Amino acid sequence: MATKRLAFVVRSLPYKTEASRLALTHAIASQSVEIYLADGDLVEASIAFIGDGVLNCHKNQAAKHYDVTTLEGHMKNTLLLDLKVLVCKEDLDRFGLTENDLLMDAEDIGGETNAQIVPFSEIAKEMESVDHLLFC
Amino acid sequence: MADLKSQTPTQTLDVLGRVCPYPLVLTKKALEKLPEGGLLKILCDAPASAEDSLPRFAQDKGFPFEVVKLADSWEIYIQKP
Repeated sequence: MATKRLAFVVRSLPYKTEASRLALTHAIASQSVEIYLADGDLVEASIAFIGDGVLNCHKNQAAKHYDVTTLEGHMKNTLLLDLKVLVCKEDLDRFGLTENDLLMDAEDIGGETNAQIVPFSEIAKEMESVDHLLFC
Repeated sequence: MADLKSQTPTQTLDVLGRVCPYPLVLTKKALEKLPEGGLLKILCDAPASAEDSLPRFAQDKGFPFEVVKLADSWEIYIQKP
């Protein structure tokens, strides 16, 4: 029995690219692959938003103005499934964003896990501790 | 296959309208919280989840399960040993 740990590091804007949406989709999908793995093998996934990627966490995104669908559903589903979501504090500060500006929980759909605003040093530790690192 | 559908479920999980992988992942989460011996009833209308991933998961874990096909959805019963 083994556990493979993945971290998706989102650096892309929430528009002009599908990268952040794909990161969330793959992180969510990774939680179902154990049924195809050897007995007892598991996959754990975490998601870190850094750089421009922190803008994906902004609530009330006006996505329709950019001809894309909102990421809000993906973000909430990620928290609903108890995935670890880390948001870089230094990059939030750079954009003048605070916790009040972000989608931090999914309580309205039964989620029990909150996103965490952490210094980059903590995200770096997470990146060093995983088996596979995927930049999006 | 155990006769589970005639028993009173400990919890009912409604994942109607949700597609793969949510039915499976939410089922795993519900089973983690279910007490030993508890019976989980899942309402699902995603064919891939109802006919493949949920039975496969229960089988791999060695959990007794039963799948009941309704007109346009499924009831899946999984017992936590």
